[in-house]
Amino acid sequence: MRIKTITIGLSAALLAAALAGPTSAQDKPVYGVLLKTLSNPFWGAMEQGIQDGTKEAGVEYFLQAVESDQAAEPQLNTCNTMLQRKPAVMITAAINSTILLPCLKQANEMGIPVVDLDANLDHEIAEKAGVKIAFTIGSDNTAAGGQGADFMAEKLKGKKGSILVIEGLAGNITGQKRAKGFADQLAKVAPDLKVVASLPGDWDRQKAANITNDTMTANPDLVGIFCANDTMALGAVESVYAAGKGGEIVVIGVDGNSDAVKSIKAGRLTASVAQLPYLVGKQAVEKAKEVLAGKTVDKFTYVQTLVLTKELMDAGNDPALQYVK
Amino acid sequence: MTADNSAGAPAPQSGLRDNRFAVRLESVLVLVVLIVALSILSPYFLSVSNFLNILLATSTIGVLGFGATFVIAAAGIDLSLGSVLALSGVVGALSVNALNLPWPVAIVACLAVGAFCGLINGVLNAKAGIPAFIVTLGMLGVARGLGLVFTNGQPVYGMPDPIVFLGQGRPFGVPMPVFIFLAVAIIAHFVLAFTRFGKYAQVIGDNEGAARAMGIQVDRHRIALYVVSGLLAGLAGLLFLARVNSGDPTAGLNYELTAITAAILGGTNLFGGRASVLGTLIGALVMGVLQNGLNLLAVSSFYQQMAIGAVLVLAVWLDQVNRARGQR
Amino acid sequence: MSLLELDGIKKHFGPVQVLLSVDLKIAAGEVVALVGDNGAGKSTLMKIITGIHKPDGGTIHFDGADISGHSPGEIRERGIEMIYQDLALARMQDVASNIFLGREPTKKLLGTPIRMIDRARIEQEAEAMIKKLGARVPSVRHPVGKLSGGQQQSVAIARALTFNPKLVIMDEPTAALAVREVEHVLDLIRELKRQKIATILISHRLTDVFAVCDRVVALRQGRVASDEPIAQTSMNAVVAHIVGAA
Repeated sequence: MRIKTITIGLSAALLAAALAGPTSAQDKPVYGVLLKTLSNPFWGAMEQGIQDGTKEAGVEYFLQAVESDQAAEPQLNTCNTMLQRKPAVMITAAINSTILLPCLKQANEMGIPVVDLDANLDHEIAEKAGVKIAFTIGSDNTAAGGQGADFMAEKLKGKKGSILVIEGLAGNITGQKRAKGFADQLAKVAPDLKVVASLPGDWDRQKAANITNDTMTANPDLVGIFCANDTMALGAVESVYAAGKGGEIVVIGVDGNSDAVKSIKAGRLTASVAQLPYLVGKQAVEKAKEVLAGKTVDKFTYVQTLVLTKELMDAGNDPALQYVK
Repeated sequence: MTADNSAGAPAPQSGLRDNRFAVRLESVLVLVVLIVALSILSPYFLSVSNFLNILLATSTIGVLGFGATFVIAAAGIDLSLGSVLALSGVVGALSVNALNLPWPVAIVACLAVGAFCGLINGVLNAKAGIPAFIVTLGMLGVARGLGLVFTNGQPVYGMPDPIVFLGQGRPFGVPMPVFIFLAVAIIAHFVLAFTRFGKYAQVIGDNEGAARAMGIQVDRHRIALYVVSGLLAGLAGLLFLARVNSGDPTAGLNYELTAITAAILGGTNLFGGRASVLGTLIGALVMGVLQNGLNLLAVSSFYQQMAIGAVLVLAVWLDQVNRARGQR
Repeated sequence: MSLLELDGIKKHFGPVQVLLSVDLKIAAGEVVALVGDNGAGKSTLMKIITGIHKPDGGTIHFDGADISGHSPGEIRERGIEMIYQDLALARMQDVASNIFLGREPTKKLLGTPIRMIDRARIEQEAEAMIKKLGARVPSVRHPVGKLSGGQQQSVAIARALTFNPKLVIMDEPTAALAVREVEHVLDLIRELKRQKIATILISHRLTDVFAVCDRVVALRQGRVASDEPIAQTSMNAVVAHIVGAA
């Protein structure tokens, strides 16, 4: 009985308070940052770049992510919740090309500029939906795939054989661009290397390992594997070594995250087309500040990628290396 | 007589008042405490727009939770809810996008696909005697895979305006999904608490042998319950489709566990016999409020998952303590 | 004309032949005891009468109609009720709900064709029946699981009697009761007889059998071993039939 009274009393009081409206005041502008998930070192590096960027720019930020890079609806809900805090700008890395559009539209309506971080949004669809994107910044995923193909062709010069491509999460634009960029460039520069399979690995280490096993079994002349990200490449490498073919098959990943770097230095993973997420994050903040100051910025900014190999890192004199975290 | 539930079930709730509106009081208390605490911790929490946000974010899980409530009432379980949600949305989207049929077809398609999956679940469980856990686990995989096959893994984007309105419209400033969510809650609660259909569902979970002896068509009823659950999953799929304007084959991953958590938090007995839609509504709100609050406080999503688990155990534990003291 | 007539009832579960061929006739208002050792087939026979099991052979006639293979719901509607050994109550539901289980009266929802359970009527009539039986339960809203064994049985009895049955079957009704409660049950059986309601009493307590029954039927290994009026037999004779020494 007493519990019931307390409950009713509290509920009534709160309802009254709720209808009185929100209160919030900020002196420094606060940037809202929504990443996919923090369980990948790639995003950890990006967060660091954002942190350093906001420090230099003299602004505050709050950052959110969801539990996995497949949790699309939770990301939408989180995005909506972030708008409650009325950030000065919304910098978002969408889990798929369309999921955040309803939230970003609302951001537009609230006068909050929207930044397409890591180039995940489908711009055609966004335009049709009436969402205005202030600018897009990310790595050129197609070019990154192409760089991977160039490296593969160089490494396997003069050889013939089968190539396996492990794509990202089905339907994800980033993965699609990398895989296509690789395949198109490879056809141009190494017609003797045939892509025998192109399968989605869902950014998952275990899945990539299984796909690698199956493909090695079906194609004993497999000489190279290109994975649309490092997590999958690390899975593929383990399968290659477990099959006793370590060193015989070239394995390339994309991202250049810290795990991949360790593996390359140890001589297992052959190479990774490193994105520089640290730079992406930092430059995103810099450009966002310009947008808020009313300046015009490029609609598309592509941050360079770098093919990381053991030799390159041992030599240590490439200036871009400082951004590899 | 067979299958008397009382050995596995905790002592029943007090019947000393009309308990057709009963909810687990502890869960209401947890909800209130959460609201108070979050109001103090975050200045953004206590506002009408935020509360509407919470309701909007809770709507999908809530509708799924109501479906789970019906099935769990009869000592069953439905693990396929998230996958059926996705498949329904995909078929609905494809029917207007790929087949160019008029927009009402999308609505019918979503509901029909959901109900059909439920029918299969129900028949395999009730007639072929396969345990519900297994049947719905199988449907979880099949429905998910089918959705991926139909769309080749890609979301199907772009719905006709009336459908988008269902998900993104805001009549009187309230998001449409919230209206639908609350309407479903009222109807579902009425059916479960006030009709024979609802009562028999709970009796079957309470003592299946007694239900048969008293002339209740247990098998037929079970099938109907799974159809209801599937239908609601289809409705949730429609809401999701409308909200994000695309049929997404990866939608609703792991949602069934959250839906079941909402039901248990709200007072539905996991082993069947006692169930309440109103309770599930409270349970879903507890999780929605918690998630929203932690988001506003920018707490990492890893901690959020721990929090949800902890709240569930806390609410059920409080309930046990109260029962032991005989205070209900 | 008999009220209930079983002819040549057979039943097997897999390879086990539980009932080989059972003939039984019960007249209106008769109190017939069904006795037999464990495994003789008593409960199975009763579940065939109430429709839970379907007979593999033979026929059942009730009040002139052939009810072989009918469903439990249909059989209750014809006026056969059973109080099961485990009572078959829904322990999380309250007393009133249990009494009306399977036959809840409904009323329209605010004039629409949608029907909801008529809670008020159920409570009213349940209270009346409980009072009539002289049973002591705290309230008809009390969940059955919280009642004592004797109280739960009162609920089961109330349920069996609420819809004016013509035949009531009781499976070991006195097995777990205190002395005073046993007498209560026996009085009930006498009252049923007065109202011309037939009763089949399954019991291993022969004192009870000889106190209220008109006839005693002994089942042994799936067959009727003996079928005699109480006045013409004795407890020893009955026991002999049960174990097969006669």
